[in-house]
Amino acid sequence: MDRLISHDVLDDGALHRITLCDDARRNALSRAMFDELDAALAAVIAAVGARPAASCVLLTATGRAFCSGFDLGACVADPSTMGTFLQRLSAAVRSLRSMPCPVVAAVQGPALAGGCALVTACDVVIAGPGARFAYPVHRIGLSPAISLPTLRGHTGGGARTVALAPEPLDAAAARSLGLVHEIVDDPAALDDRALAVARQLLGKGPKAVASIKRWMNAHDGSCDLAALDATLAASMATGSSDESRSMLAATWAAMQKPR
Amino acid sequence: MSTLVSLDVTDGIARVCMRRPEARNALSKDLITQLRSTIEALQSRSDVRVVILEGDGKSFCAGMDLKAVATDPVAMGDMLRALAETSLAIRKLPMPTIAKVQGAAIGGGCGLMVVCDFGVTHPEAKVGYPEVDLGICPAVVAPWLVKKIGAGPARAMLLLGGTMSGAEGHAKGIASHCVPLDQLETTTMALAAGLAKGGPLAIRETKRWLSVLDGSNDDAAIREAAEISARIIQGGEAQERLAKLWGS
Repeated sequence: MDRLISHDVLDDGALHRITLCDDARRNALSRAMFDELDAALAAVIAAVGARPAASCVLLTATGRAFCSGFDLGACVADPSTMGTFLQRLSAAVRSLRSMPCPVVAAVQGPALAGGCALVTACDVVIAGPGARFAYPVHRIGLSPAISLPTLRGHTGGGARTVALAPEPLDAAAARSLGLVHEIVDDPAALDDRALAVARQLLGKGPKAVASIKRWMNAHDGSCDLAALDATLAASMATGSSDESRSMLAATWAAMQKPR
Repeated sequence: MSTLVSLDVTDGIARVCMRRPEARNALSKDLITQLRSTIEALQSRSDVRVVILEGDGKSFCAGMDLKAVATDPVAMGDMLRALAETSLAIRKLPMPTIAKVQGAAIGGGCGLMVVCDFGVTHPEAKVGYPEVDLGICPAVVAPWLVKKIGAGPARAMLLLGGTMSGAEGHAKGIASHCVPLDQLETTTMALAAGLAKGGPLAIRETKRWLSVLDGSNDDAAIREAAEISARIIQGGEAQERLAKLWGS
């Protein structure tokens, strides 16, 4: 089976590039994708922890979408899957946010729902012109509460707009709200620019970088375990509601109709 | 009391309309009172998915109608307290809120726009907080501005006073949408229709957590800020500047 994630270790072990590459499913967070993401993040955490010199993580994707969110087919097939996926998403977000080195995201296409949550867990977000950001999950009766602590870390009060907006935000709107830090106008130049930024970060003092990241995490509440747990529980409660079951079923049925 | 606030609910979208067009919907005591009770009545309406706050006529809201109580500084303070309570009621609505802002949203009117989840305006609109120009302290509306755009930008905006265009207000983050005036209605309604498609329980939970995380539920802090504004407006500086403004 083709890998859904490619984990490349570059620059003599300093730079970890995690690429979502399941274009057939628009990089959806499926069970298999979560398995590979967990494995990649565990390997990165171990490698970064064992390395005294600077490290950096680059999260990127290939294909039409950065990440289209949960594999809804799996959630429809087994109602317990939504809760499992939310827990796994929360774990991935926490791993990225508590990584003791910078995490750069290069977003080339739509980052929706759980995909947007992954972006909020990164420290520096670079977007191509095709990047879109949204939580279109209220339409399946699910609250994106799980993402609010990290989203607020980037956008502050703009989290209201991002979390509630029914239509995706483009890269410019996401930048004005603080979720995107740099836009690369030429889609073909995005990967190179993201690599350049990651390498720039590798030139900083690793202890200083780790400690200011830890301070920021404490300051903006994005690593507040009580808030992370409570918002995860809120999303799980909505995700297992009757409202969610029926809205998800209706949405899924509409998605299956040929267009 | 004449009807200064109307309510229409169609297809789950509630339109709360301030109707004092001859005064550019300046917030009189009666208007604020009616606005607050209309909003509070929506709190438990499970058939309402989205609330649009709007103003009849050329302007959304020109601010507090202080001139109507020109000789009564105590009444001015009470009106600011009422504005704080109305803002709290808007923020506590469990469904998304949209301010549809044409013409002007000044002072307390800008406060009403900013306390909503979304603000839709147009480039030529006039928005902002000119309170300090009049010797008035904008503390009553400040908490919502700080929550929306952050303390640093809010500090500069409130201290500098004056007004800005809708385009600038959008760039500074106090309005979420800025479209040509002739698209204001369609943009607002498209946003409302999109929001109305969301699961109400899920949206309620998202709004609840947004407010928990940004401190919107700290009623005591909001009321304390209103008290500061009430105290300052009763003082000599504000009263002298207001008297000069009104030429009395």
